[in-house]
Amino acid sequence: MEFAAYDLDDGIYDEMLQPNGEPREHSRLLYETLCRLSSEEIGNIQERVTRSFSNEGISFTVYGDAEANERIIPVDCLPRILPADEWKHLEIGLTQRLAALNRFLDDVYGEARIIGDGVIPADVVRGCPQYRSEMCGVSVPHGTWVAVCGTDLVRTNQGFQVLEDNLRVPSGVSYMIANRKVVKTSLRRLYRSSRVRGVEHYGRLLQETLRELSPSGRKDPCIALLTPGVYNSAFYEHMFLAREIGAELVEGRDLLVNGGFVYMRTTTGLRRVDVVYRRVDDDFLDPLVFREDSLLGVPGLIHAYKLGNVAVVNAPGTGIADDKSVYAYVPDMIRYYLGEEPILGNVQTHLCRRPEELEYTLDNLENLVVKRVGESGGYGMLVGPHSTPEERDTYAKQVRANPADFISQPVLPLSRAPCLIEGRPEPRHVDLRPFVLHGTRTRLVPGAFCRVALRRGSLVVNSSQGGGGKDLWVLEA
Amino acid sequence: MLSRSAQGLYWMGRYLERAQHLCRLLQLQVEALVDRPVREIHLGWSRIYGALNRQPPFGGIQFDRRDNYTLADSYTLAGDLTFERSNPDSVWNCFALGRENARQMRHRISAEMWICLNLAYLRIQKLNIENIWKTSPENFYAETVEDIHTFAGVAATTMYRDEGWHFMQLGHSIERAQHSAALFLSQIATARLYRDSPDGDCTALLRLYHAFDAYDRKHSVEIQPHQVLDLLATDPLLPNSLCRSLDSAAAELAAIPQGPSATGSAAASRLAGRVQALIRHEWPDREDREAMLRQIGEHCRSLHDQIMAAYIDYSVEAPPVH
Repeated sequence: MEFAAYDLDDGIYDEMLQPNGEPREHSRLLYETLCRLSSEEIGNIQERVTRSFSNEGISFTVYGDAEANERIIPVDCLPRILPADEWKHLEIGLTQRLAALNRFLDDVYGEARIIGDGVIPADVVRGCPQYRSEMCGVSVPHGTWVAVCGTDLVRTNQGFQVLEDNLRVPSGVSYMIANRKVVKTSLRRLYRSSRVRGVEHYGRLLQETLRELSPSGRKDPCIALLTPGVYNSAFYEHMFLAREIGAELVEGRDLLVNGGFVYMRTTTGLRRVDVVYRRVDDDFLDPLVFREDSLLGVPGLIHAYKLGNVAVVNAPGTGIADDKSVYAYVPDMIRYYLGEEPILGNVQTHLCRRPEELEYTLDNLENLVVKRVGESGGYGMLVGPHSTPEERDTYAKQVRANPADFISQPVLPLSRAPCLIEGRPEPRHVDLRPFVLHGTRTRLVPGAFCRVALRRGSLVVNSSQGGGGKDLWVLEA
Repeated sequence: MLSRSAQGLYWMGRYLERAQHLCRLLQLQVEALVDRPVREIHLGWSRIYGALNRQPPFGGIQFDRRDNYTLADSYTLAGDLTFERSNPDSVWNCFALGRENARQMRHRISAEMWICLNLAYLRIQKLNIENIWKTSPENFYAETVEDIHTFAGVAATTMYRDEGWHFMQLGHSIERAQHSAALFLSQIATARLYRDSPDGDCTALLRLYHAFDAYDRKHSVEIQPHQVLDLLATDPLLPNSLCRSLDSAAAELAAIPQGPSATGSAAASRLAGRVQALIRHEWPDREDREAMLRQIGEHCRSLHDQIMAAYIDYSVEAPPVH
């Protein structure tokens, strides 16, 4: 395998190679191994990796695509490598960020000091579609609103930045583990020699976290993973995690609330549930409190939760903290609650709710990424440089009609990593989503779901938009 | 165990057994196309459609056609029973539904079981009647049966013997018993139609149940239809006999802990015992085989309903809580 024709760009950080074409020190072993492999050998490895995903049915449903009910998530066999010191930096930064976000949630649904002190405007918080007034005054166990956080990080020549926080039902961790399982056995000698830190214990850490959040006095808590069902895009992950943490995989119809307690229907009768690890959005959780037409939720769940008889993880209402407008204030939250400077910075964000930033956005649409604050998964966004004038005109009208629904960010030169494309290494843009857990303390596995924009030149890494995955190797110190 | 999980595993067992049973029937039938007389081929199709209680796509099987029609009809009939998406009992649909139940219950079966089933599904998914008919369609049926046997073997060596296992086996056993009862009834009815067939094509039935050797040992090489039926219904040593399927259903049910209502579980247990006793103790003394087989089929359907009521769809007005 040759890197002679590999395209390097001074303006874009390459995860494996330096601008002079030499491998970065932590990637040298990988680079040398790849150089020794023939095209046929590396092709066989890729084929094995792809076949393994297909055989195991590791899928991601793409909505609106009838043919892709069980779309196999594409995976690239070349790992991305992070040295120990870079990971350490991320670990500290992510821990800090989640601590501030949990404090923020406890505050805005409580005394709302941060609003009173003028750090964040009241309308940004209370006008946010994810704000749940029903959660005001609710005391969550250990102040942990967000127990499972998936933070999207990107790297440019200026270093790592947080692209967004996913605090509701972040997905992707199963692909992280699946990628590892197949890539490490496909590159076994390299893996052994590289001294890579394991990620396979994620299920144990998640289980420990969930147990810490169970109502007090329950010695052997019963955990249920609540899924919207088999048609959900991340159903594979729900099934995978249920197995990993020894939980029952339940749908709303399997649960009921009686006397303020939550039960699931088992073959021997009703069994009390102590922790609901929900992968259902707030809106659908409880038709008595949120959307009354929801068939996915459990009537009375929020009542039982407020009584302290069941833990719901992540807590309802956490979406306020990963709203794309609120995101702009996270560095201020870190300073406000923790008295520290943010270790991981944000991407510069223009809030279209502010008149001058709206005008700036509209004047520079062709150079910006514009996102709807309430959307995720890469839906509803405009990537300026890749859009047509007609698309920009249409989008501009929408932004002008509801400015508060939009934010804009500069088009970031996301770092690239080599991917095997038609038998050759070609650079593709990547990000990474590490998963941070917090019950009574913070836990992280040293790894992440590394997402790849597989289309040449594309910056969109989302699985729902045709993105794929890569294994991320964090090296031992 | 979550009721819905138990239900999923139960149906997985049923659908895979259904797919296997139909594959075996079709394998023997398409083998017969090579060298058996036309009437025997007609008899075979009649028996299969009768057992499935389904009308052939063109409204009936014609008796007096020449060879070329028989082969053309067979292609249509095999297509209807193998890949037809609108036929809920086609091999493809049964296999796909078995696999879909497994997909939804992947956390309840072993990883090896899932991969085994998924690989088979990926193979079948690409095929249609045209592909398999070009060479030797019997190979397709044999391979599918082999896949399901492999799955059963992998399950036997890798699956935890909890309730999930018992529900899966229960579904498998009830399905097999129901199929056997329906097939024997269809055999009797078909033999009545084709009176000139020397043994009512019982040879095919013996092959279907892998029962040639057992028959030889017990009787002689001369095939007597009533002896064949008795053997397939009552021999407790024959792996797929009706008697053994019912024994197995009763044993699996007994291994499942009592449901939320003691009376509901007891009623299902009693019924399983009753139908077991019917074949073991009453069959030898009764002449009216058809009535008995109908009764067994009805009991199997009731047993299914009682199991669902006792463990899956029970009322939660006064539930025991643990």
